[in-house]
Amino acid sequence: MKPQTKGLLLDTTRCIGCGACALACKERNKLPKTSDDVLKDELSDRTYSVVKQVGSRYVRRMCMHCVTPSCASACPVAAFEKTAAGPVIYHESKCMGCRYCMIACPFGIPKYEWEKKAPLVRKCDLCADRLAQGLKTGCSTACPTGATTFGDRDALVAEARERFRANPGRYNEHVYGVEEVGGTSVLLISDGKAEELGYPAGLDGTAPAFLTWRVLNIIPDIVMTGAVLLGGIYWIRNRRDEVEAAEGSHHETPKEH
Amino acid sequence: MNAMPKLEVPRFTFWRGVLLVILALGTYATVIRFFKGLAASTNLTDAFPWGIWIGFDVLCGVALAAGGFTISATVYIFNLEKFRPIVRPAILTAFLGYCLVVVALMFDLGRPWNIWHPLVMWNPHSVMFEVGWCVTLYTTVLALEFSPIVLERFKMTKTLHVMHFIMPLLVVLGVLLSTLHQSSLGSFYLIVPTKLHALWYSPLIPLYFFLTALTLGCAMTIVESFLSHRAFGKQLEMELLVPLGRVALLILSLTAVIRFADFRHRGILGLPFQATYESRLWLAEMLIGVLAPGILLAIPKVRKHTTGLFLAALLIVMGVIMNRMNVSITGMERSSGQIYVPALTEIAITLSVVGVGFLIFALAVKFLPVFPDQEMKEARPIVIPEGGNLVGQPLRSLPVPALVVVALAFFGAVALGADGVRRREVAPGPPAPTAARPALAAALTSFQPTDVVFPKAPDSPGPVTFSHSRHVDATAPDCVSCHGDGTSFLGRKEAAPAGLMHDAKHCGGCHDGTSAFAIDADCSPCHKAE
Repeated sequence: MKPQTKGLLLDTTRCIGCGACALACKERNKLPKTSDDVLKDELSDRTYSVVKQVGSRYVRRMCMHCVTPSCASACPVAAFEKTAAGPVIYHESKCMGCRYCMIACPFGIPKYEWEKKAPLVRKCDLCADRLAQGLKTGCSTACPTGATTFGDRDALVAEARERFRANPGRYNEHVYGVEEVGGTSVLLISDGKAEELGYPAGLDGTAPAFLTWRVLNIIPDIVMTGAVLLGGIYWIRNRRDEVEAAEGSHHETPKEH
Repeated sequence: MNAMPKLEVPRFTFWRGVLLVILALGTYATVIRFFKGLAASTNLTDAFPWGIWIGFDVLCGVALAAGGFTISATVYIFNLEKFRPIVRPAILTAFLGYCLVVVALMFDLGRPWNIWHPLVMWNPHSVMFEVGWCVTLYTTVLALEFSPIVLERFKMTKTLHVMHFIMPLLVVLGVLLSTLHQSSLGSFYLIVPTKLHALWYSPLIPLYFFLTALTLGCAMTIVESFLSHRAFGKQLEMELLVPLGRVALLILSLTAVIRFADFRHRGILGLPFQATYESRLWLAEMLIGVLAPGILLAIPKVRKHTTGLFLAALLIVMGVIMNRMNVSITGMERSSGQIYVPALTEIAITLSVVGVGFLIFALAVKFLPVFPDQEMKEARPIVIPEGGNLVGQPLRSLPVPALVVVALAFFGAVALGADGVRRREVAPGPPAPTAARPALAAALTSFQPTDVVFPKAPDSPGPVTFSHSRHVDATAPDCVSCHGDGTSFLGRKEAAPAGLMHDAKHCGGCHDGTSAFAIDADCSPCHKAE
């Protein structure tokens, strides 16, 4: 299935580190201020999007909205859902707080309300409600430089390659998120490697969720084979006793096999 | 069946005192956990969301209960009747273990009142969903497997008859469910190939979890038999336990061979010998849990020696505990960028869960027919020699090489562990910001500030068009100076209330007559008449 979904293209070469994206995110999600310096903010249950200075670049971190999300695969109660529109959303009333999503996420995105007595998981939802109204995400609306661009994921990939073509030598010509973890709806281009900008290294083209599904898929086979095997062993082992008992007593003939 | 023992005031002993202290601390920690929340009661963080309540209470708890399915399969399915005397203690331990795992989970879950959700809100793609179902079903099966003990106690013969009839079915079901979720606890980690250290991450991790649970099932039965022997004066059935030791050795060796092949296949045979935190702890795990017990069990004289067998089984138990803790904590630390040390409240809860387990087991043994009575006592009693230690034959009667192995394993593991912890470090983060502000030339070519039109309010002279390009220094744009404190990024739909935009948080902040022209009687510079 080809993901015809909305997404974002992040371009570090266009980012001036103004923090508009992070503050617009706070505004849309009605989140409190968590740092005096927007560039020093960390992702948390009250901050879903940050922009950090890494070396000589500004780099955004937020939920990548994976095409095959690990969080949605891991969640035992299906509290996470990859919607057709692109966002990975969270149905908070289902959550029981096991935090397996936080373990599973390769980007370390879901955050927890540790301080609360009825805590929930918090993360960016790609402004799913704004998308439903035909609006862009808050961050891409606020971005003054086009460092965060909103659009159809396929169009954004094309746009990224067009930027490579139009600006020879400006980019490390790799669109992070086309292949990684089976694809993400948030894509990143830069003049450096994403791994050097604080993004996780070693992600290949396999969605981690598939590593689990491969094993879960053989469970019905294990159950059926196991049941027959154990039943058979039980039958043979106990039959032997019955026969021995019958022969020993000489009173009844052995039953049919 | 003996008459119910008379209730008497328990004597105060050292271990009862310890239990009392632990339970008191546990009660305090419980209050903190449920009245103050997870932040106050744990050292868990966003980067390290699973601690010892999952690593020890759940992962080890379930593994330690593996004796239940190992022994019930041996007796009911493989029809090895001689093991029947230890079925009941094994099933009781498993049942207790699972109940306590659920109790511990209630502490760890952020919303424990939703623990039933996986039963109605399905996600068949989730390992946790599968484990939830397996554990629920298996705990039910264990309760049913355990029920004859209670039924006997209250002489409910008819129901007892039905239970005996369906027992083989229950056991088959129990073994299948155990196989599934023992391995699935390993499958939890399949989804984190980039987070769990390569020494423990393997596509075969479900198989490792299952095989180590099997080994542990044998070892736990041995350990429990010895402890029951010591605590309740039960007979030691060495002719049952020695074969269990042999089976444990077999599975231990099989697992070791598979692990070697797996490491070779993944090209990481050299990894355990690097001087890192993880490698040291991996070696300690292998030394304690595989190498030392393997050597001990391979020597017939040691295997048949009560203390020797007990020590080997104890080493296996410690090894599997180390394995689960290494997978859930040691192996996850580096990628999390953080070092996790459990809070005292976390430790208090964990100890209390274990303590409650011992307490209920002791009470069950006292009031229910868990251990076989008369006829088993007559069969081959083991005579504990004079000067025997807690588990029978004295330590000094063990062959010297065995003692050396135990000592080396113990001190070796401690030394490796200590050296490992000394080397503990976390993954380096991204490069620190350079002092200089990044060159903006490239970025600024795409700076595209737009005009914003503020619609006319009823009492306003006219709409205002705000020009970003006239207000922002394109060579050093600073969005936050206006937007950081009240001015929307996302725009208003309707006109601002009268005077709002004039205040110090909005236009008035700069248009004060000093930084920029003041807002005064003349509206026309900003408000354009329509």
